Amino acid sequence: MHSSLSLSFSATSSSAATVSRSRYSFHAPAAVPLNLRFCGLRREAFGSGLAASLNRNLPRRPHSAAVSAALSNNGSTPKSFDYDLLIIGAGVGGHGAALHAVEKGLKTAIVEGDVVGGTCVNRGCVPSKALLAVSGRMRELKSDHHLKSFGLQVSAAGYDRQGVADHANNLASKIRNNLTNSMKALGVDILTGFGTILGPQKVKVGSSNKIVTAKDIIIATGSVPFVPKGIEIDGKTVITSDHALKLESVPDWIAIVGSGYIGLEFSDVYTALGSEVTFIEALDQLMPGFDPEISKLAQRVLINPRNIDYHTGVFATKITPARDGKPVLIELIDAKTKEPKDTLEVDAALIATGRAPFTQGLGLENIDVVTQRGFVPVDERMRVIDANGKLVPHLYCIGDANGKMMLAHAASAQGISVVEQVTGKDHVLNHLSIPAACFTHPEISMVGLTEPQAREKGEKEGFEVSVAKTSFKANTKALAENEGEGLAKLIYRPDNGEILGVHIFGLHAADLIHEASNAIALGTRIQDIKFAVHAHPTLSEVLDELFKSAKVKARASSPVSEPVAV
Amino acid sequence: MGSLPNAPTLSFSSSLSATTLLPCRRFTAFPRRLSSFSVQAKIREIFMPALSSTMTEGKIVSWIKSEGDTLSKGDSVVVVESDKADMDVETFYDGILAAIVVADGETAPVGAPIGLLVDSPEEVAEAKAKAANSAPSPAPAAAPSAPATPPPPPPSPPAKSVSDAPTKTVATPQAKKLAKQHKVDIANVVGTGPFGRITPADVEAAAGISPSKSNVTPLASPAPAKAASATPSPAPIPGSSVVAFSTMQSAVAKNMVESLSVPTFRVGYPVTTDALDALYEKVKPKGVTMTAILAKAAAMALVQHPVVNASCKDGKNFVYNSNINVAVAVAINGGLITPVLQDADKLDLYLLSQKWKELVDKARAKQLQPHEYNSGTFTLSNLGMFGVDRFDAILPPGQGAIMAVGASKPTVLAAADGFFSVKNKMLVNVTADHRIIYGADLAAFLQTFSKIIENPESLTL
Repeated sequence: MHSSLSLSFSATSSSAATVSRSRYSFHAPAAVPLNLRFCGLRREAFGSGLAASLNRNLPRRPHSAAVSAALSNNGSTPKSFDYDLLIIGAGVGGHGAALHAVEKGLKTAIVEGDVVGGTCVNRGCVPSKALLAVSGRMRELKSDHHLKSFGLQVSAAGYDRQGVADHANNLASKIRNNLTNSMKALGVDILTGFGTILGPQKVKVGSSNKIVTAKDIIIATGSVPFVPKGIEIDGKTVITSDHALKLESVPDWIAIVGSGYIGLEFSDVYTALGSEVTFIEALDQLMPGFDPEISKLAQRVLINPRNIDYHTGVFATKITPARDGKPVLIELIDAKTKEPKDTLEVDAALIATGRAPFTQGLGLENIDVVTQRGFVPVDERMRVIDANGKLVPHLYCIGDANGKMMLAHAASAQGISVVEQVTGKDHVLNHLSIPAACFTHPEISMVGLTEPQAREKGEKEGFEVSVAKTSFKANTKALAENEGEGLAKLIYRPDNGEILGVHIFGLHAADLIHEASNAIALGTRIQDIKFAVHAHPTLSEVLDELFKSAKVKARASSPVSEPVAV
Repeated sequence: MGSLPNAPTLSFSSSLSATTLLPCRRFTAFPRRLSSFSVQAKIREIFMPALSSTMTEGKIVSWIKSEGDTLSKGDSVVVVESDKADMDVETFYDGILAAIVVADGETAPVGAPIGLLVDSPEEVAEAKAKAANSAPSPAPAAAPSAPATPPPPPPSPPAKSVSDAPTKTVATPQAKKLAKQHKVDIANVVGTGPFGRITPADVEAAAGISPSKSNVTPLASPAPAKAASATPSPAPIPGSSVVAFSTMQSAVAKNMVESLSVPTFRVGYPVTTDALDALYEKVKPKGVTMTAILAKAAAMALVQHPVVNASCKDGKNFVYNSNINVAVAVAINGGLITPVLQDADKLDLYLLSQKWKELVDKARAKQLQPHEYNSGTFTLSNLGMFGVDRFDAILPPGQGAIMAVGASKPTVLAAADGFFSVKNKMLVNVTADHRIIYGADLAAFLQTFSKIIENPESLTL
């Protein structure tokens, strides 16, 4: 079964170029990881070609369900261990680590108790992007004003709920298959069952007593939606993102508890499909995680003009699903005084209050590790710390389970960092170079510090902080798309040109952020990057403008290295 | 916002004069007029304009003019921050900025009064009093207005309300937004949605039926609310589809319902058009349209019969209009709009035709300014081009009469001398408000109109 699948893949493959490129970058002695953006997911876009061609470079071995059989055929493993690397959890983090481990020549297995792909692929980023793709189009088709300015005429736009839900579901299964196949093709063993750590370098897989040993172990078990107590989830009228992504219904009126990026994205989907939305936010303002200026603008565009109202500074203490002919009841109390404030009656409630680590039953007690609010404590190299503050040898934890930065691509980057370390190269991931995005219409993206964070840091460390801003209104491509709404903001040190943070709100912001995140990752300074050329007319010129508008005292570090005649 | 004038007269009077500062591109098919108050508009309200299609409220960044400043048409008065940008708002009228209702830094929903404009210095004090006084009804002649305190909630909401808290008002986010936008007091709206909640449709019904935007109209608002709840519409036939009214269609519906409060009657008249047709053939190459000819003819007849150009706004007075502004009904994009040919009696046919073309182009582009579609004093509706031989029109609120023009068709006519002849005959039918226009008035007007059409040379003078 396994081998036939991977064979069919290599048969259909063609390109090897991608592989050699990525290999190079990993061998390059870069101090900062070049390929941090190597989220397993993105890789899947060209998954089959990459996987299959990598496969050619590796010793072929017949796959077998039996672990022992696989053992004898894979060269480098010392006899005492079944694997070089065992990853618990086949989400994006585990997948990223597995791929990089194979590239590094490690004999790798991945343990998955549920379905391959984890939250991101099955219940998170991936299906939500499918829904958001629909909502974006609905918005365009329903915006008479917008269409008219293009001279377009469209008769009433409508949607078929099941069709939309199917799109999300199909996308998730497609990506899941790509992910599975890419690992199989590379020779990663996928062990089905929940993984439990029995002791150092020893894991039990599933309820059977199959015990697997590995030189190094990575915990990548991810997270589940966090549901505050008092809230009763019935999966129909009181739901989490897990249910919402199946889009089994589009309620007329839905309350969204939490206005972070999950809540925001769902508000975008629901309002585009005709629902009215009420936000419930415990903090005093909506979108608390974002740069204040960005969230103010985002509120003006994403909240105020839409059929959304909100209650801020309140906790939902009790949420009762609709039953016995009653609507969903939400009891609100003041977040500060704890006085009862209001009771809302709505058709549905989506709990988007964040995510909780999924670390129960992992057997951490066997190695004397105590979780903190469920998170596995780790150091900056993702090495697990036990109850006595000592490092647990050969055990790492990446992704949502360690809670450092709960993003799919961060997990993947952490996994790659761990693989670098276990293959003999010290590596510390710079989390400030990891971008984040919220896929509303328009999108929000960010990397590094917010303005208040930067100012605080500047005060503490005694450097000056400056801010530069550019508007999408000045960008030709954005105006051609009639999407001039938006802002890009650069927070930097005027003395040395270091980029501290970049925040973008506008068309395709999520794609635009990478120029900034790469610059941060590579340590590129503004005085240098401002000489980089951007194609005209493109949205990337928003960042070009941004870098050029920064006032940096330092000179460009190196002139053009070698003139190239044209 | 406590200083918002909640005296009914104020907003009504501004509806009367139909003066807004709104550079608003939104259509209302007919001007929103109210026919039950007698106060003449001397104080004009400056409204929060809709600067973009998505704007529901705006923030006053700063007033460029201060109280007491004299404004002339086209002056920038105030800077408003919309959801998109900061924009200067200009006045369409000359006058004195009497009072600023919404101060710098404050926000107001689109359509809410933000300042008051008067014609003469004498009125400044009065306007100021109105602006400042948020206490009950400062307006002197506030007709039969109820106290400005909000009316008691409508008796016994048609309670499907199974909620434990029977007194609680539950309104959806959009309903609240609409209520703010249309100034509907949500407490007065009866919810017909699930669990007795107030839906956007409920607010629209409350705002739509009541002639002025609500919460300042304690008189009008409860009644329609009750009416709406008392007559639940029957369930649609299975398989039918429900398409919500567009803004323009809502405005048409509202005005049509409003017309039921006016006692109208109809008088028809045959007009032979051979001479007119001959004239039309002659002037057509010069760009003259039949609409312009008919509007001109009606306007000339109205000069001789001013009562037909009058209107009755309160049921007590004739309001004689000094201008003859002929509104012409035009079907457009699934709606209906009445661009107005102002001073149709004074302009010649060529200018009228040119003007008409401009108006139609603007209407198509949804760029008519409010005064270009709501300043009519008499309306013309022509379905002759479809071959309709006769029909009658519904009187638009705020006007005295509307003329419905059928097709001109060859007809066998018996002359007084007993000879038959075939002539082109057109039937016109005028609907009028019988409170001010009587049968004889209309008959005389139609006779004059018919003479003008039958001897059309005067039209070209």
